[in-house]
Amino acid sequence: MRALDKKLLRDLWRMRLHAVAVILVLACGLSVFVMAVGMRGSLERTRAAYYAERHMADLAVSVVRAPERLALQVANAPGIAAAETRIAGLALLDVTQIEEPASARLVSLPLDGRPRVNDLVLRRGRWPDRARVDEVLVSEAFATALGLEIGDRLNATLRGRREGLRIVGIANSPEFIFVSAPGELFPQPERFGVIWMGREALARALDLEGAFNEVVFRLAPNANRTETIEAVDRILRPYGSSGAYGRDRMMSDRYLTEELHQLSTMAIFLPVFFLAVAAFLVNISLGRVIATERSNIGLLKAFGYGDAAVAWHYLKSALVLACLGALVGSAAGIWFGRSVAEMYQQYYHFPRLEFAASPLTFLGAWGAGLGAAGAGAVFSVWRAARLSPAAALQPPQPAVFSQMRGAIAALSERLDAKSRIILRRIVRYPRRAATTAIGVAFAIAILIVARSFPAVMDYLLDVHFQQGNRQNVTLSFIEAREIGVLHDVERLPGVIYAEPFRTEDMIFRHGRRRVQEALIGVPEGARLSRVIGQEGQVITPPAAGILLARSLAEKLDAAPGDEISVEQTRGRRIQARVRVGGIAEPMLGSSAYMDMNALARLMREPGRISGAHVVMDPMRHSDFNRRLKATPALVGASFVTLAERSMRTNFDEHIGLMIAIYSAFAAVMAGGVAFSAARVTLAEQERDLATLRVLGFTRGEVSYVLIGEIMALALLAVPVGCLFGMGMAMWLMRLFQTDMYAFPYVFDPNGYAFAVAFTLTCVLAAALIVRFEIDRLDMVGVLKARD
Amino acid sequence: MDPAFTMRGLTKVYGDGPAAVRALSGIDLDIAEGELLILLGPSGSGKSTMLNIMGGLDRASDGQVRFRDMSLTAMDERALTNFRRKHVGFIFQFYNLIPSLTAHENVELVGEIADNPMSAQEALGLVGLGERMEHFPAQLSGGEQQRVAVARAIAKRPAVLLCDEPTGALDLKTGVRVLEALVEVNARTHATTLVVTHNADVARLGDRVVRFLDGKIRSIDVNAKRTPPSELVW
Repeated sequence: MRALDKKLLRDLWRMRLHAVAVILVLACGLSVFVMAVGMRGSLERTRAAYYAERHMADLAVSVVRAPERLALQVANAPGIAAAETRIAGLALLDVTQIEEPASARLVSLPLDGRPRVNDLVLRRGRWPDRARVDEVLVSEAFATALGLEIGDRLNATLRGRREGLRIVGIANSPEFIFVSAPGELFPQPERFGVIWMGREALARALDLEGAFNEVVFRLAPNANRTETIEAVDRILRPYGSSGAYGRDRMMSDRYLTEELHQLSTMAIFLPVFFLAVAAFLVNISLGRVIATERSNIGLLKAFGYGDAAVAWHYLKSALVLACLGALVGSAAGIWFGRSVAEMYQQYYHFPRLEFAASPLTFLGAWGAGLGAAGAGAVFSVWRAARLSPAAALQPPQPAVFSQMRGAIAALSERLDAKSRIILRRIVRYPRRAATTAIGVAFAIAILIVARSFPAVMDYLLDVHFQQGNRQNVTLSFIEAREIGVLHDVERLPGVIYAEPFRTEDMIFRHGRRRVQEALIGVPEGARLSRVIGQEGQVITPPAAGILLARSLAEKLDAAPGDEISVEQTRGRRIQARVRVGGIAEPMLGSSAYMDMNALARLMREPGRISGAHVVMDPMRHSDFNRRLKATPALVGASFVTLAERSMRTNFDEHIGLMIAIYSAFAAVMAGGVAFSAARVTLAEQERDLATLRVLGFTRGEVSYVLIGEIMALALLAVPVGCLFGMGMAMWLMRLFQTDMYAFPYVFDPNGYAFAVAFTLTCVLAAALIVRFEIDRLDMVGVLKARD
Repeated sequence: MDPAFTMRGLTKVYGDGPAAVRALSGIDLDIAEGELLILLGPSGSGKSTMLNIMGGLDRASDGQVRFRDMSLTAMDERALTNFRRKHVGFIFQFYNLIPSLTAHENVELVGEIADNPMSAQEALGLVGLGERMEHFPAQLSGGEQQRVAVARAIAKRPAVLLCDEPTGALDLKTGVRVLEALVEVNARTHATTLVVTHNADVARLGDRVVRFLDGKIRSIDVNAKRTPPSELVW
């Protein structure tokens, strides 16, 4: 090994604590990068492979009822590679494992063999026998959540008729990677699942013999999508088609796409933050090394090393740290990615999801790490290269201080000498002071950002459940019923209060634009289910006209006063024109809203309701559930209280873990910045501090000078860090925003208090570690040395 | 009169085993109150080590050091700090002023921890620097900086003034001014003053000259008459 390289290793060993800080911060950032980019790639690859292997539909269309003879005509439409007609519906299930009724989406299996589109993966058991009408497959997540086994029986209520079903197999489908009940934002696998059953049995149960109500398609490679959609719509429009749609409106794929979007945001945002801090740490620690190495630099140059050789020597130390950081980050990223993949398995039901980061991902991580360290080193290295050998061999000039003026001078007059030292150093070296303060502010900011996620989630859950959906249960009817049915609901055991609602799945049209969305009828003075705006206010639909969510209005290019048309996607397919009465910004969803009675009139069914929200006596759940399971007129019962509980549990278990990891990363960063800043301050003041000790100042008094400076800077950093963190959190919430949910910025004083307290504690702890070095100060050695 | 310092068998060993270095071996010495003592010897002869132990900056490996009725060798870290705080003024070769404080403030700093300090003006006046009080160290010459260091050392009215190569970094003219300040202070405050030097000519300044070699006292000479600094040449 060359002598210079030996020196390099020893220099690194000498600055090992700084080095550890740099390596850890880099590793944190790069592990998030490797995890997010790798996970994104893994999800995309797994999804693509799954879709290709199981022929995931490119298009789908729902109709009310179309005769099976149309199947061939649809399959022959231009651009279609494969088409599969099928029957789909919803059923209430009576399962013994849970007290409340569960529900399921029922999908028919083709009469002849396996589905040509949206084929299944049979995990266990066998395919249903066509001769046995009660044999079904159930989705794996549902089976796992309820502990359902092959051979178990299920009681289903379909269109008011009870059917006994027998499980013969457990399956997965590319169509249902993500599953949540209609109208529910989050999955509850024990309450909602997918059941595949024989076409004939399902047709009989749903009165669709010789007909279908759904078609799923695969497009040919060169298909013109728009043309195909138009052709299919032309064929199926007379049969109540709501219009063919692509994967962007298939719930499962849409969720996955949003997850990928969030991973991309994360892959950029967090690593950039950490890399910036790592660059900062390299800058201050290498800057210090080079300052103490002045005479060595002079010697090297005097011996004949060129500027470039000297620059390379110091740059190498930064690059060695970057490599170590990238190594640790890559390893941690793989571990992190595997944990996240395991977590994803709970939400996304792939046959197999494995985390695998591509070589390019690692290359990117290493490149980013080297780039950040290089950027942090460049200023110090440039200074080393520029130092002339003669000047380098001279001792550096003592720092020039001058009298302060104005308010600072007045303040200085009132301080004791030790405090004056602190104040003068900060004023004399504003850039260095600012660097330290900015580093600490960064640490505070990232903690605020990390803590803002649980605060936002908490707020969203609170808005959704405590303000928006205050009912315990929502009951949906198979078809709209007279409002008088509300009395029957009120008479169900344990019901304290019932509130009606009306909702319609609609196609909205404005000019050439066309969007399918829910139109929600809100009763006047609604107490239970209410629309909550982004400011937390209750949004009330206008007495006349329709209220559009902003994202829906944008898709339709509609403004208040415009007239738009709506068309029911089911039932009698009533069409009507309504005037846009306003634009709202709801926190969740992108629906449209109307007064409930106005909506019923618009649908030419005045006084009819789609269901009821119910407040329950918690002591009488069992009676209520028993009655519910025996009520065939219901298509669904959604247990809001249970949904909230399961979401909170899920959140604590999974997202809570992520938050804990990010908080730990933030802590590493805060600690690293604080330690480096304290260490550099000590190194610069070593001589002054030793002088004070020799003069008879106690350790405590001397520590005050060191800790006082760091803490003064840290306190200056507090407001900056808070503002910075707030800005970042707001920005990030906007980045994560989708048209399914708006993430509001939530000011959580506890989060701020935690971020500030934690960071200041880290700074203080780091300063105290450095303070022990004061105890070991070789007073004589320091003072006898030339500066 | 009792001596200010009494040393018996004072020994200092750095390291252990075969690598051990005996910096001092078995020093016996008494130093009178108010005496101006010169410690002379080549580098590594042990003179600075003895000065540091006397000032409470370092600890003896063996033997006894007493200052008046206190045993320095029995003191813990805290007591040594307190000893320095109350009784000792230090002057080093490289001044060691706090760069962020003015001359005046550097002297005032000591006043904050002393029981009965003299004013910064008075201390700076004693070393002839009354006019440059508001300058920062970087704005002063080497000699001026060292005189500020002297003023800082005497401001707490120390019983002992320990000077380690106080003129080592200075030319003759400025060195003489610093030594004049030291002699003046010694005369006015009666502080027991020890000056470490390897400059044989400076030795003529003191009451006695202790010559060191290899960690031992080689000779102790008494000067019949102190030579004023202005007559020194080096």
